[in-house]
Amino acid sequence: MQEFVQLMAATAGSLGFAALFNIRGKKLVFATLGGFLGWGVYLAVEHVNANPYACGFCSSVMLTLYAECMARIHKTPVTVFLVSAAIPLIPGASLYRTMACLMSRDWPGFTEQSTYALLFAASMAAGITTTTVIFQIVWDCFRKRGGYKHDR
Amino acid sequence: MNRDDAEQYLSCAMSIGEQLLINGAEVSRVEDTIRRICMAYGALRVDVFSITSSIVTTMYGEGFGTCTQTRRVSGMSNDLNKLDELNELSRNICETRPEPERIAEALEKIQNGPRYSLGVQILIYALISGSFSLFFGGNLKDMAASAIIGVLLKFLETVLGRTPVNTLITALLCSVAGGFCANLLVLTGIGAHTDLISIGNIMLLIPGIAFTNALRDMFSGDTITGAIRFVESVLRSVIIALGFTFAGFLF
Repeated sequence: MQEFVQLMAATAGSLGFAALFNIRGKKLVFATLGGFLGWGVYLAVEHVNANPYACGFCSSVMLTLYAECMARIHKTPVTVFLVSAAIPLIPGASLYRTMACLMSRDWPGFTEQSTYALLFAASMAAGITTTTVIFQIVWDCFRKRGGYKHDR
Repeated sequence: MNRDDAEQYLSCAMSIGEQLLINGAEVSRVEDTIRRICMAYGALRVDVFSITSSIVTTMYGEGFGTCTQTRRVSGMSNDLNKLDELNELSRNICETRPEPERIAEALEKIQNGPRYSLGVQILIYALISGSFSLFFGGNLKDMAASAIIGVLLKFLETVLGRTPVNTLITALLCSVAGGFCANLLVLTGIGAHTDLISIGNIMLLIPGIAFTNALRDMFSGDTITGAIRFVESVLRSVIIALGFTFAGFLF
């Protein structure tokens, strides 16, 4: 139940961000779906492997794949689908707690929270970049007109 | 093509590049777009260099020699609808090669493109902060409190946007105000957890586009831009988080 609420909240948050970035019409729907997919994969992986960094990595791999595919279908920059989908993964909570621990001079808490925030951001970054790079290589193999930025 | 025409076309390409950069494109996209547009109009060699705040282009072709233009780019608007339309415009330009007047018209049209009205934007702010409070484990009271603060932050941001205050200071002021409101709402019993309310509002201000673009830039070879964007977004996130915790320090 709690997971369902979280998934719905993540989707609503992605919808909010997609609208904040002025995405419109059909693209708004697909950008929101990206957020749903991203957090859905996170929760699914959590059942198999409780390590949050592994969940973050798998989730960002999936949502980058989704964003790259959508960008090519809609012929629009990947950023449009990637950013709003990746928002629920951003470690905002541990960022806040890091600073709260800093303010109250709770050094063990500070170390723990800042390590989590940094490592989580790093695993997200790893997921996004490896997928982008591999997708790019595979895509260019199958297309003559590769490397055209404005096609996606 | 004579020299005057070349300068005019180059200026159009630069305007498109500038707008792309402002509206959240990666640097490699900006460079690629300018290069392709210049090539489409018959340049033999085009060298584009762009970082987050500047674009330099030199193109060479028979008939007009060497032309160079520079743009200083300031401001970020993160309007992905414009980004999408500019991308489409650049694709069309390379296919149909219109006159510079036509390009200027199309650019003007994109610049005045639709935005969500203020009322809808207020709703968006409430939706984002409310849903992220719930997402990080808050209850319905936290969600309501966070949504109220989200609306207040939108007003504060609109007011500060009319003054010459820079965006970093705006973010700092917004987050300090947000932190105070979170504490006040918990004191009055509308919210339940100060931290979960503030976390919802932090997500609102966090530079998501800058962060993902920093990664994309860095790994597509534009290390300088990636580093600039990365430092900018980390600095901004830290300032925002500090601002929100600052109020808790006093209460």
